Amino acid sequence: MATLDSYVLMALVVIPFVGGLALAFFPGESRRAIRGFSALVGLVVFALTIYVFLRYDSDLGGYQFIREYGWLDSLGVAFSLGVDGISVPMVLLTGIVLFTGVLISWNIQVRTKDFFVLYLLLVAGVFGVFVSLDLFFFFFFYELAVLPMYILIGVWGSSTDFGTFNRPKEYGAMKLMLFLTAGSVLVWVAILAVYVESGLGTFSLLALEDVTFSDGFQRVFFPLFMVGFGVLAGLWPFHTWSPDGHVAAPTAVSMVHAGVLMKLGAYGIIRVGLDLLPGGAQDWMPLLLGMATVNVVYGAISAMGQTDLKYMIGYSSVSHMGYVLMGFATLNSVGMGGAVLQMFSHGIMTALMFAAVGALYDRAHVRDIGVLEGLTKRMPVVAIFFVLAGLTSIGLPGLSGFVAEVMVFLGVFQDYPVVGILAVVGAGITAVYILRMLAKVFFGTITPRWEHLTDATRVEGFAMGVLLLFLLVVGLYPRPWMDLINSGVAPLLERVVGL
Amino acid sequence: MLFPEPGTASGVQWAWLAPALSASAFFAVVLLGRFIPRNRAFLSILAIAAGFGVFWYVLKEFLSSGGGEFSVKWFTVGDITVSWGIVVDELSVVMLGLVTFVALAVQVYSLGYMKGEARFGWYFAVHSLFAAAMLTVVLTDNFLLLYMAWELVGVCSYLLIGFWYERRSAAEAAKKAFITTRIGDVGLLIGIIMLFKATGGHFDYSTIVHVAEEGGIASGTLTVAMLLIFLGAMGKSAQFPLHVWLPDAMEGPAPVSALIHAATMVVAGVYLVARLFPLFLLAPTALLVVAIIGLITALLTASMALVMTDLKRVLAYSTISHLGFMMLALGSGGFTAGMFHLLTHAFAKALLFLGAGSIAHGSGKTDIREMGGLWRRMPVTAVAFGIGVLALGGIPPLSGFFSKDEVLVAVLSGRGPVFFVLTLAAALMSAMYMARLLFLVVLGNLKKENEHAHESPWVMKLPLVALAILALTAGFLAPGWTSDYKGFGAFLFHEEPEAYHINGLVMGLSLALAFGGFALGWALYSRGLLSADRIRERFAWLHRLLVNKYYIDALYQWVINRIVLVLGRFIALFDRVVINDTGVNGTGRSVLLSGIRLRYLETGKVYNYALGMVVGVVVVALIWWLGLPNV
Repeated sequence: MATLDSYVLMALVVIPFVGGLALAFFPGESRRAIRGFSALVGLVVFALTIYVFLRYDSDLGGYQFIREYGWLDSLGVAFSLGVDGISVPMVLLTGIVLFTGVLISWNIQVRTKDFFVLYLLLVAGVFGVFVSLDLFFFFFFYELAVLPMYILIGVWGSSTDFGTFNRPKEYGAMKLMLFLTAGSVLVWVAILAVYVESGLGTFSLLALEDVTFSDGFQRVFFPLFMVGFGVLAGLWPFHTWSPDGHVAAPTAVSMVHAGVLMKLGAYGIIRVGLDLLPGGAQDWMPLLLGMATVNVVYGAISAMGQTDLKYMIGYSSVSHMGYVLMGFATLNSVGMGGAVLQMFSHGIMTALMFAAVGALYDRAHVRDIGVLEGLTKRMPVVAIFFVLAGLTSIGLPGLSGFVAEVMVFLGVFQDYPVVGILAVVGAGITAVYILRMLAKVFFGTITPRWEHLTDATRVEGFAMGVLLLFLLVVGLYPRPWMDLINSGVAPLLERVVGL
Repeated sequence: MLFPEPGTASGVQWAWLAPALSASAFFAVVLLGRFIPRNRAFLSILAIAAGFGVFWYVLKEFLSSGGGEFSVKWFTVGDITVSWGIVVDELSVVMLGLVTFVALAVQVYSLGYMKGEARFGWYFAVHSLFAAAMLTVVLTDNFLLLYMAWELVGVCSYLLIGFWYERRSAAEAAKKAFITTRIGDVGLLIGIIMLFKATGGHFDYSTIVHVAEEGGIASGTLTVAMLLIFLGAMGKSAQFPLHVWLPDAMEGPAPVSALIHAATMVVAGVYLVARLFPLFLLAPTALLVVAIIGLITALLTASMALVMTDLKRVLAYSTISHLGFMMLALGSGGFTAGMFHLLTHAFAKALLFLGAGSIAHGSGKTDIREMGGLWRRMPVTAVAFGIGVLALGGIPPLSGFFSKDEVLVAVLSGRGPVFFVLTLAAALMSAMYMARLLFLVVLGNLKKENEHAHESPWVMKLPLVALAILALTAGFLAPGWTSDYKGFGAFLFHEEPEAYHINGLVMGLSLALAFGGFALGWALYSRGLLSADRIRERFAWLHRLLVNKYYIDALYQWVINRIVLVLGRFIALFDRVVINDTGVNGTGRSVLLSGIRLRYLETGKVYNYALGMVVGVVVVALIWWLGLPNV
């Protein structure tokens, strides 16, 4: 086990990366081999993430599985890996979504090989971000995770055409790319500033953590992290790439995108921003709280006004990510703990929703809520998963969203009761649009146009089942997750409180 | 500890088994359903029957060695520990018995009523989940678990109202019920969080009550928190103005209405007020609001029940009205009266709904104008239904008479004559609409089209008979009969035991109203001494107002369509046009345009570049000269 422990994080990055490269040498027409191999890679990585999750000792806390490989010593760049109580749930989340995403893409017909190559590279980048303890590699993987997205959406995506409202998939891909790059620029500037200002000549997060930056420096550069990473987390008003991107993306990419990629942004804010510049964070958190509140309420109201199923879920993600940012902004253990759990919970839930919408869209080729009706008769399995994902999003107890959201509410109420009320009201609005949509799309008498639809395949059903299982387990028994998260959040907060 | 420690004699902690068994039945049926041979209903019934057994055991242990609180840790966040726990006291034991008994009766009844339905197994699975959640509501010792179970109960109600989801009306009713109660739940959650914060991080009732009684919570905060919590109770118990969902919920199968929308879930709000009674007593304003809302609800919905023609809808409005009575009693300080009325009403109303289901099952009719004389064709159902009608109408010595009397006494002593007179008016209407059911449905002449009506199978009759017996006799729980048993008020009380006392004036009035109401009904619907049609024509405007439910539903629909959804569309459009097309694409376009413009500066002519350089040098020099000293 000791050997596995020292290589497991490396393996999480290398296996999808090498797997993706190896896939490039497969003959393009052997679709079965390609998807079989991808599923195998997914399964192995998923198993490794579970291993990390179970093996991490939350009583001990701190960074574990640490491993460092020298790389560019003259610049102080090293490939150093390690995970703490915040990144472990994210690693597990990525493993789950990676594996189920491969299964959901089982029937990709167009350029199957290229799709899976890019998909695996994308996931390798995501893992890289969550396990890097070196800012240089953190940023490298951050970019690596974004680039394949552009091609995946541009080639395999779908356009929206409502007559009066058109959004070609290329537009979605381009906007996503430009937005995220713009965010990256801010982040990179701030990282370089930290590098120079510290005077240590190293990108190592562990070394930089010990530096206390001057108040002025912190105040100037924290917003770059906050907004730069915030863009990827869907922070209002830099969120519009997100619904357009979600909608244009193919199903598995939407799952990774909304499920994991948006969490990268949120993760960056605390892992890099809060950790290095706690003083700056304290100064700017009220602003973040304000913007996050807009995220929650505005996102929910926007979702209510959507007629396209995927847009509705896209805006719902904007709203739910608001709870994550809100929890961060509380800077107390309850709110932040809830926020991190919400990252995990929302990742799984939104992946499930996009999986279900994807299954529906693949068959009906329509996402217009006004046209779909009574689909349960023909797609009971999809309907069940959709309803459960919807109920999670409403915050139904017994499913993971409830625990996370209640903690965020409790955290926010400590210092900002008015915001807390708005947060709870936002959850109320969520119920309105989710239930309206469910009643319209899945219930009622089926229209003849949809009589020919078929239900989810076994593979799709299995993938959605895996996602649902995690929603239930976290909802009923959140303790292992919370022990992990508490151990990760506590040292961060000590840095803030210690000021 | 949930498991008995060696040395602790008390077995009451095993009460947690009741919800756990039903929850297990739910998961077993849903996850392993395909491996269970034949019909899966027996698992659910077995679980709830065992739950009823647990009740008797707990009751026995409770009477011999008293109650207690038991909890296990659920999870920790920061320095807060969240636990799952139960409290066993008089209140929760009574509710445990009520819920397990009615749920058992209804599930057995459903065997007959739902026979041959598609999704038969699913129906019972949701019933099990409901039982588990409802039992958790009544047993839990803390607010967070209460809220969880509270929401789960709502979801089960949603799933069962929408059981026949192919019907658009059922899907809409389910949605309406969920969203309306959710509005209340937003208040409930905020109220809970306020108390959590005010007590420095506690969810459990006993600590919160303790802190509040020590004066640890500012009275303004407490009042606001209790009002918000009451908002949650109003949603679940369908109190005005959140009552609109309950009549629509009748789209669900009749047994569901009996269990969820008459006897158990809708009384959760009343139970919550009773459970938090010590806190409400510390916030008299909130308690007054409880009384006022209860009174308005009782009056308003009783009047609507007078004119509805769908049997289940009449019963639904009557349910809301009686929930109003319970709230009113609690709001007047009548703890025992409110809980006792909850109990007797639950038996009688479950009986009536199951009876209505049996009538629909046997005759296919749901409109009371098409019924009549059914006792000739379905004697057991008709007699049982009749007992339910008389019990709710307040005819002695049936159960409703006793509890209504206590409610009236409590209102008179707690809130004074104005409340009392209005309560009497609501009670009179209650007797009248019950009389209307008696004479139009059970008695009278058999209509030709109902010739073929037939009695229901024994699985449906058995629960009817059991409930009818209780509706007949539950009233006798009130007075003390032996030296051991000193009456319901001595068993279930707050602060001091209440003996069952008879107020001659109140009882006289109550009797006069009950009999007067039935006599009026007899005159109107049976003898034709007074013509209902003539009255309807004479007061056409009033009739229209009542039939249209005071236009409250229409008003809400208008608000949703014209304000909420329009706001949603507006924000969605704003996001697209202002934020995206102007803010985002605009930025993109301006970059593009500036590129297009700026490229003309690349002229390739040296003197242009030289000019630029000179201008630049001058500007830099100016800044240097003007700005630097100040830096």
